[in-house]
Amino acid sequence: MKHIVLAIVLCLLASGAALDAQRGGGRGAPPQTPRQAAPIDLTGYWVSPIIEDWKFRMVTPNKGVFGGIPLNNEGRKVGMSWDPAADEKAGEQCRAYGAGGIMRLPSRLHITWQDDAALKVEIDTGTQTRVLAFNAAPPAEASWQGQSRAQWNVPANTLKVVTTNLKPGYVRKNGAPYSNKAVVTEYWELHALPNKDQWMTVTTKVDDPVYLTRPYLTSSDFKKLPNATGWNPTPCNAK
Amino acid sequence: MPRRKNVRREFPFADQKPRHAVALAKAEGPRRIAWTITALSVAFASAALFSVRIAAQDGGPRPPDLAGEWRLDQGEDPGQPPPNDYTGLAFNDAGRLRADTTPESIWGTPEYQCRPHSAPHQWRGVGGVRILKELDPISRDIVGFRLQFMRSLDRPIFLDNRPHPPAYAPHSWSGFSTAQWEGQTLKVITTHLKDGYLKRGGPQTSDMLTMTEYITRHDDIMTIVQVVDDPIYLDEPYVLSITYTYDPNGGPPTENCTGSSFAENGGTDRHHVPHFLPGQNSAIGEFLKTEDWVPFDAIRGGVKTIYPEYRSVLNGGRPVANLTVPASRSANEVAKAIADQSPRDGEVHVLPVQGNVFMLVADGTNITASVGMDGIAIVNTGTAQMSDKVLAALTDLARTTVYAPATNKCFGANCPSPFGAPAWSSPFFNAIVASPRPAQGLRYVVNTSAAPEHIGGNEKLASSASFKRGGTGRAFGSAAPDIGNNATIVAHENVLSTMSNATPKTASAALPSETYFDEFYKVSEYVNGEPLILYHAPAANTDGDSIVFFRHSEVISAGNLMSTVSYPLINADKGGTIQGVIDGLNQILDLAVAEYRAQGGTWVVPGRGRLSDTADVASYRNMLVMIRDRVRDLKNKGMTFEQVKAARPTLDFDGRYGATTGPWTTDMFLSAVYRTLPNKK
Repeated sequence: MKHIVLAIVLCLLASGAALDAQRGGGRGAPPQTPRQAAPIDLTGYWVSPIIEDWKFRMVTPNKGVFGGIPLNNEGRKVGMSWDPAADEKAGEQCRAYGAGGIMRLPSRLHITWQDDAALKVEIDTGTQTRVLAFNAAPPAEASWQGQSRAQWNVPANTLKVVTTNLKPGYVRKNGAPYSNKAVVTEYWELHALPNKDQWMTVTTKVDDPVYLTRPYLTSSDFKKLPNATGWNPTPCNAK
Repeated sequence: MPRRKNVRREFPFADQKPRHAVALAKAEGPRRIAWTITALSVAFASAALFSVRIAAQDGGPRPPDLAGEWRLDQGEDPGQPPPNDYTGLAFNDAGRLRADTTPESIWGTPEYQCRPHSAPHQWRGVGGVRILKELDPISRDIVGFRLQFMRSLDRPIFLDNRPHPPAYAPHSWSGFSTAQWEGQTLKVITTHLKDGYLKRGGPQTSDMLTMTEYITRHDDIMTIVQVVDDPIYLDEPYVLSITYTYDPNGGPPTENCTGSSFAENGGTDRHHVPHFLPGQNSAIGEFLKTEDWVPFDAIRGGVKTIYPEYRSVLNGGRPVANLTVPASRSANEVAKAIADQSPRDGEVHVLPVQGNVFMLVADGTNITASVGMDGIAIVNTGTAQMSDKVLAALTDLARTTVYAPATNKCFGANCPSPFGAPAWSSPFFNAIVASPRPAQGLRYVVNTSAAPEHIGGNEKLASSASFKRGGTGRAFGSAAPDIGNNATIVAHENVLSTMSNATPKTASAALPSETYFDEFYKVSEYVNGEPLILYHAPAANTDGDSIVFFRHSEVISAGNLMSTVSYPLINADKGGTIQGVIDGLNQILDLAVAEYRAQGGTWVVPGRGRLSDTADVASYRNMLVMIRDRVRDLKNKGMTFEQVKAARPTLDFDGRYGATTGPWTTDMFLSAVYRTLPNKK
């Protein structure tokens, strides 16, 4: 009987230690870094098969083709004033390559750990780089990719990213706008498909009180590639 | 304190210690080690349970609640897709041809008027979704989900670890779905789908597709990643993702089907199958008049058009033929899946159909069996080699379904007696519970044709009958010969003629004993409580085909008019024609009634392949009409058979029904079609 009692006590202590480890380090141990705590591995090369919205993503639709985007009147008005030549002239040719729209463009991604607390997402289309930081970043100027705060959802095996501090950009290449007040919330998830493909889906919600009547929801899909074949950085193109 | 004293205090009667205490006291050496191992095992199990419980309290993995009302905001591919827009589709040549030649007006045919959205399109259909939880009433565990879309049947998703049905089980619009949690994502696998469409506007799917979905809830957003794997029509799986928003005030409206007759839809022929001949769909590209930024080549689809590399083609830098893209492969073993619908494994598989009727899949050939208190009636007998196993399966079926021991349902004088008067429970006990009546044997055999795989078991099976056919020695002055215990064999008279003239000679016990020559024939008595009616299908697979209708069970045995694993066998030397097969299928469609939303209802047992319903028969008929019209068009243009063959008029169906080897190849079928179509007048 003594053996049983002793064994149970030891195992409960052991299981408690295991739980502590799951929480991010045992008692007295340093907490896990975001890199160590990652429930999924997003690193590697990815390509975006354009299966949905092909007519709006692989080619640039005509001005005013805003189907599916909940633009308000002001957003529509701004969208109708889209002038790609003017954007280029103003050095604003990357407006469609900001965090609010770039995941919709045909591209390859190269995801690496910039350090233990930030994922770097390089995108060949427009030669853009997004940094998904797990720690708070100091204030900075607004930019195409803004500031992205990342957070693992460990039980769900997903990554939540909230991006703010954006320069005004386009959710669609034909000038459908989002403003500098836009907040982009993304959920990144991975799935192993029956054919063994690794598939990454990024669900994107663009909240913009200036140009949208309600959040604009899309989901963009990426297939993992074995290597960098096809990696083709190109500059932004306003057309 | 002395140990013994402790023991004495716990167990005042020293010689009555509990067994485990005695064992511990005596345990030495290896036994002590064994006890220690046991104790540790118990402890680890306890710790594991404890850890799981704590993890759950600690916010550990617990599936999210998917139930509720969800709204589709259609942020992607908004609105109704224009006809023949294949952008984003990895179509192969077969998929493109099938879509080009299938107009949306196919929905106007009687069999498709109430067709719900095909499963691959349901998440994209407007109206949102309602997800209902199904609970085990005792454990309150979630054992499944039920999905309701506006234009769909309720779609069950089973979480109780049940297996998928066999391949010869019927397909439905929503298919058969099982699921499991992967972390907090619900992974759903769906098989047994009917042929339908990927999205409205033309892109078709075959009935061999498999669908895998990953459903993940992110706060108040639900993302569904959907993988449609249909190598019949696609060069790589079609993967799309759809987002829904939680909306407690939402909920899909119900779209009741108010299908009208075809004539009211503007048609004049209920059997008319609208379709385009290849190259004659003038609507292709019409939407580019308004969507003029899209190049024509892109709307034709293809795997090379969906990768970023395609922009180099759009920019005019590279011809598409020179493009290399990182295409994926299919995980769907279609050839095996088709073969599994009609397994040639030397065994008999039994599938309950409806009412008294069962389908026996006997080494690549289907037998329809009615089993009841009257005995057994079967349609077709399989091959001679399978006779013993078929007979054993039928006997077993009768014994376990009709004559099986049953629980006592009465007591004392309230019990019915097998001899009429009220009886005590003991006779009931003897007759029903302990030793039920022996299974009755075969009474009727129907041959739908003289095809060897349908008559091969006639002699052995018919002679297994348990009562006499014909006279009994002196009956009718010996006018009716006593031929012993043989079942009655019924067939069209041309079947008898073919069998009688066969070489080698057919045994007399295998020959039909009742024949008919009219449009139809009613078996002269009810069989297992229902009429059995044979309809002649003239000049179909042969000159003697019959359709057999079990009128109360609502089951039709189609014989060789239909096969879900091949093109129909048409024996032109024996009077078969493509038009006759189509007419025969139309006759089935006239008899059959769908239960609800174009599925179920009257079941159709094909000569080979899976159990089918009206929509399946319509799909098969539609295919044959399309092929007939294509071949007729080519033949009318003066093409020889070789030229017709080179034009590949069956291209979009070959992956599903064709064969390059075996007893019935695509070339043989095409030859029969070409040969039996009349020359242009």
